[in-house]
Amino acid sequence: MDSLHAIGFYVSAALAGAGGLFLAFTDSRQRRAVALGLVGLGVAGIDLALSAGFTALVVLICYAGCALLAMRPDHRFLEQAASGPWRQAGAVGAALLLAVLAYAAFRGNFAHATFNGGPFGSVAVGRLLFAHDALATEAVGGLVLASLVGAAGAWRRERPRDERGEGRR
Amino acid sequence: MSVTLVAVLFVAAGLTALGAFIAAWKRDLTGALTGIPVMFAGAGVAFVGVARFGASSGAPLLGQEMAVLLAIAALSAVGLGIGLAGPEGSR
Repeated sequence: MDSLHAIGFYVSAALAGAGGLFLAFTDSRQRRAVALGLVGLGVAGIDLALSAGFTALVVLICYAGCALLAMRPDHRFLEQAASGPWRQAGAVGAALLLAVLAYAAFRGNFAHATFNGGPFGSVAVGRLLFAHDALATEAVGGLVLASLVGAAGAWRRERPRDERGEGRR
Repeated sequence: MSVTLVAVLFVAAGLTALGAFIAAWKRDLTGALTGIPVMFAGAGVAFVGVARFGASSGAPLLGQEMAVLLAIAALSAVGLGIGLAGPEGSR
């Protein structure tokens, strides 16, 4: 891996981390969407630096979709039922998770292999998705369909009746 | 300056833990939901890193495929969560 890719990797990692931190501490919907977009941009940059161009493209599209959904001004504010101490316990749990994962990454004795793929790899990934692991792809397709149908159904059910009537007219 | 699998896994660990923190810390449930894509991003980065540096046998791009599926699953989870939250002022 040359220096340019390495710089791209570290800059993208910083962008993703900064976006994640911004996402954690902002409450505005627009800022949340911007932060999610930054995370997506950073992760796509990391993927691109790691010679996974096709993955970067899919990540960019999916995270842009997530950002647009998070930006919607008309979804309801639902407060978590968990009280302050439980949320603090969750935050400490996240810190412990970071410590365990970082320790595993640092102490791991990983095998190194030569990478033979190209910078984009859409053909090889497509072959994997639709030939080698078609069942997994179909399962994710089913998940997407179920979530879209569920979300649309729930959204329609939750709209007030008079609003639905106005939409029809 | 170079990138190793350990550096990639550090970044992946950071993103995963950050996503878990967002999910636990946010008071608003739809805000907490945005932690899921960050967690999945961490997992995806780890998969891509292993595919790039450590896949010695089998299909070398399996990690990239998993990252693609994780990104799509993250989008579905956010869509479903926002849909289930419902529009403002409906209850």
